[in-house]
Amino acid sequence: MTRLKQFFLKLLSWFLPDRLVLRLMRKQIEDLKRAVEGTLTDKFLEILLGGMGLALLLLRGFRRNLAGFSGRYLFRTEDGAVAAGAYFANGRMQVLHKADNVYDVAVTFKDPAALRKFLFSCDQDILASILANEVSVDGNLNYIYKFGFMARDLVHRLGVA
Amino acid sequence: MRQVSLKDLALTNQKRSPRVEALREAYFRAAPEICSERPRLVTRYSRDKKFFGKPVLSPLDKARLYRYVLENRQPVVAPDHGVDRDMKAFPVKARSLFAGSTTSHFKGVPIFPEFMGLALWPELLNIKERAANPYFLADDDVRVLNEEVFPYWLGDSIIERCRTRMNKDRAGEPVGERDAPEMVLLEHLVFFLTSKGNCISHTIPDFTKVLQVGLRGIIEEAQERGRQAEETEQRDFYAAVAEAMEGIVTFSRNLAREARRLADLTRDPTEKIELLAMADVNERVPEFPARSFREGLSTVWICWTAIHLENPDVGLSLGRLDQVLYELYRHDIESGALNIDQAIELLCCLWLKIGDHVPTVPATGEQLFGGTGSNQAITVGGVDAEGRDAVNDLTYLMIRATELMMLRDPNLNARYFTGVNPPAYLRRLCDVNLNTGATPALHNDRAVIAALTAKGDTLEQARDYGVTGCVEPGSNGRFYGATASVLLNLTSVLELTLYNGAHRHTGRDVLISERTGDPASFASFDAFKAAFVRQATWMIDRATNLNEALGRTHQDVYPTPILSSLFEGPMVKGKDLIFGGATINSSGASIIGFADVVDSLAAIQKAVFEDKAVTLPGLVQALDANFVGQDVLLARLRNPDKTPKYGNEQPAADGLAHWLAATLDALFARKINYRGGRYRVGYWTMTNHAGFGRLSRATPNGRRDGENFTSGMTPVSGVTPSLTKALHSVASLPPALLSNGIAVNLKYTPDHAHRDKMIDNFVASVEGYFDAALGGMGGMGGMGGMEIQFNVTTHDTFVDAVKNPQKYPELLVRVSGYTAYFKDLNPQMQQEIIERTEYDLGTGQAVEFTRAG
Repeated sequence: MTRLKQFFLKLLSWFLPDRLVLRLMRKQIEDLKRAVEGTLTDKFLEILLGGMGLALLLLRGFRRNLAGFSGRYLFRTEDGAVAAGAYFANGRMQVLHKADNVYDVAVTFKDPAALRKFLFSCDQDILASILANEVSVDGNLNYIYKFGFMARDLVHRLGVA
Repeated sequence: MRQVSLKDLALTNQKRSPRVEALREAYFRAAPEICSERPRLVTRYSRDKKFFGKPVLSPLDKARLYRYVLENRQPVVAPDHGVDRDMKAFPVKARSLFAGSTTSHFKGVPIFPEFMGLALWPELLNIKERAANPYFLADDDVRVLNEEVFPYWLGDSIIERCRTRMNKDRAGEPVGERDAPEMVLLEHLVFFLTSKGNCISHTIPDFTKVLQVGLRGIIEEAQERGRQAEETEQRDFYAAVAEAMEGIVTFSRNLAREARRLADLTRDPTEKIELLAMADVNERVPEFPARSFREGLSTVWICWTAIHLENPDVGLSLGRLDQVLYELYRHDIESGALNIDQAIELLCCLWLKIGDHVPTVPATGEQLFGGTGSNQAITVGGVDAEGRDAVNDLTYLMIRATELMMLRDPNLNARYFTGVNPPAYLRRLCDVNLNTGATPALHNDRAVIAALTAKGDTLEQARDYGVTGCVEPGSNGRFYGATASVLLNLTSVLELTLYNGAHRHTGRDVLISERTGDPASFASFDAFKAAFVRQATWMIDRATNLNEALGRTHQDVYPTPILSSLFEGPMVKGKDLIFGGATINSSGASIIGFADVVDSLAAIQKAVFEDKAVTLPGLVQALDANFVGQDVLLARLRNPDKTPKYGNEQPAADGLAHWLAATLDALFARKINYRGGRYRVGYWTMTNHAGFGRLSRATPNGRRDGENFTSGMTPVSGVTPSLTKALHSVASLPPALLSNGIAVNLKYTPDHAHRDKMIDNFVASVEGYFDAALGGMGGMGGMGGMEIQFNVTTHDTFVDAVKNPQKYPELLVRVSGYTAYFKDLNPQMQQEIIERTEYDLGTGQAVEFTRAG
């Protein structure tokens, strides 16, 4: 997304009430819902990061999560088939669809379903993913806690879960 | 006045007063509420003073921080409402006799972002609805924590600072991108845990001094010592003491002012009198010496809230309150200023205050290790520093208050010295266990004192021990024991031995430790044991490395001037506790899975190397298959007649238990901690035996995948049919090897129909276990078993409580050390308690029951 488009969307967020924003994000919300529920698991990470990026532009309340925050995340599968970076700085979020070894925290997961369980599912599934060694974390765990809140805040605001 | 003047030791005429009844009802009705006050104030001050990112914070920095927090806390004389389990507010109409609370809520969850507080971050929006032990959290507090608190601690929590420190220490090593191996091992959850990421120390402060001279006396002493100190660090430390104590004085005065304000507002004359009395007490103490029993209790309470403001609510304990407060009690009773009913009401109010908070536990923690309280132990009875009987009237009042209240916190521990303490006292302790079903835990003074002196405590220090956290003994107010520094899953050592340095949880192709031999390569059991010792050495080295790094991190940024001011040693040395200011500076390890490993080693020795019923590779294959299709082998491994089991007085198994305890004691004794002290080893497991068990695959003693390990130092459930033999086996282990305490969990069938007879047998079982003729294994001298604790509830009641938890909101149980409400435990832990061997005291034999679930 270009800087100009980002600027335009952010500008919109100051004028549009949240219910209209949610209508604008219908497609993303539907995808996210399917991803969180597990029926669109393969693209879970892509959809989550995309939805988060858009919500940060359009939802002022959600944007408060970025105030003063900077962090670099690496998400990847064990086999390297999926890798994405999420960078947060200066009130912006940037998504890179490749692995970058400079990060605050790296999350390695067996498959996208494991990541979905790790971030969203009920207590029992988080434990199950730990038990099965489906997810491992390298780096600062506190950044995962922060991301976990943002992910749940996102689905909460979008009425997904 | 004699120390024991009560005619009725059971104090049967003393009941819960209407005030206590109402407060207790509200207590059980209330759900815990997360409190954002402390983290907000701590974060604001730390931000304004630019503490974040600073490599070092001095005791004086921290003292100023806590003074700021204490002075700016909302003075809540008595929270006027709670939140029920449906997350709806309800009024609390009764008022405690003590002003103040640990948090600003009736039942609060204090947050320590410096430690593990950030682990709650992902749950903030749903924590009210989580399955296990939900917390109430107001919407505005979600915002405060998410925006004003947690972001500042991203790089500054203890565990993160430690991770950074360890990575810096490894600079230049070819480590790839992974964190230090100790950190990685910790995150795998199956090798060891450490409490230092979550708290400072399980320990007991010294209340004697503040009761005698008041905080003003401590401040004046610190100022005088500061003037005479030659080193800058010492001068700063003394300034920190004065600063922190002034904060507590102001906090108490603020409470007094608020009480007066409320007194002015009320038209109820009784309430006015009560509030004014409260104001008088809080204006006087803890600044000045306590003159009455009530002032003494208030001194303890206000200092306790201040200590918990500085130190996370994990295992801090109050020590020997029946000794510390006895003279004030005696004086008031003799002068007629106090009667027993009033004293009981005061104690019940204090017990409720002590239980007014629960520790922060994230959802995964609840699943693995949930249901714990703050483990605030109180110790009563035993002998004094000169070895004389120390049981007094106040001992019995505290026991009665515990019996009346049946609370999870405080966790009552009773000391008993056979031949010195009166038999009637032991009988009363057994009686209370029958009445409450779970408390108090009983400690054998002779054995515990021997254990502590074996580790270098003087006899006087050892005799003055109190119990910390779960069951850990330490000299009252002078023992900075950090008793939960290492929680070692011993079964992982066995796993690494069987799998040649790998662990099935992390994958058989991943080398975790070092190669010590393929299963087929062991020619003898001695060779296998040698490999086991190498793996144990490797793991203990890693666990203590991590503990040391965390300890250094505490030294960097978490000095504790409040706790240091209320402790023996720091004032003389001019040194904070965290730098070794205490008189006794040990660290503690606790071993999880002891009995499972003993029985597994015995099984390998007997079935593999002696009977040759299976090869070691064959046994490993059976473990991999979770014994599926191996019914004959499984039956053999589980049968005590074919495979020796610890707890049956079988020399082979009990000998291995002794060898193992001696080996672990020696391996930990090699280490000197960051405060200059030694490590002590104990065997209590909290709920970790259930959590670790859940994460662990089948073991050679016939335990299947994911089943619980056995709690504490208790023999494995279901393989020890004779109570006497079980007790003798445990008591045969020398206390000198168990100096960080043990938890031996027994389940007795209650027999209320033949109550006197049951108590006779109960007493006999304890006396037999504490018998000095036992414990002589290895020529180390007989002292008897160190500790024992009970659940005295029927199997059927526990099974029904699983099905109908709402029927049993107050069902109290002993887990492995501390007390808990059965309904709060996770299903695995509930099952573990249900499956514990239950003994009928009439026959001394295990009771058969159908396995639940």
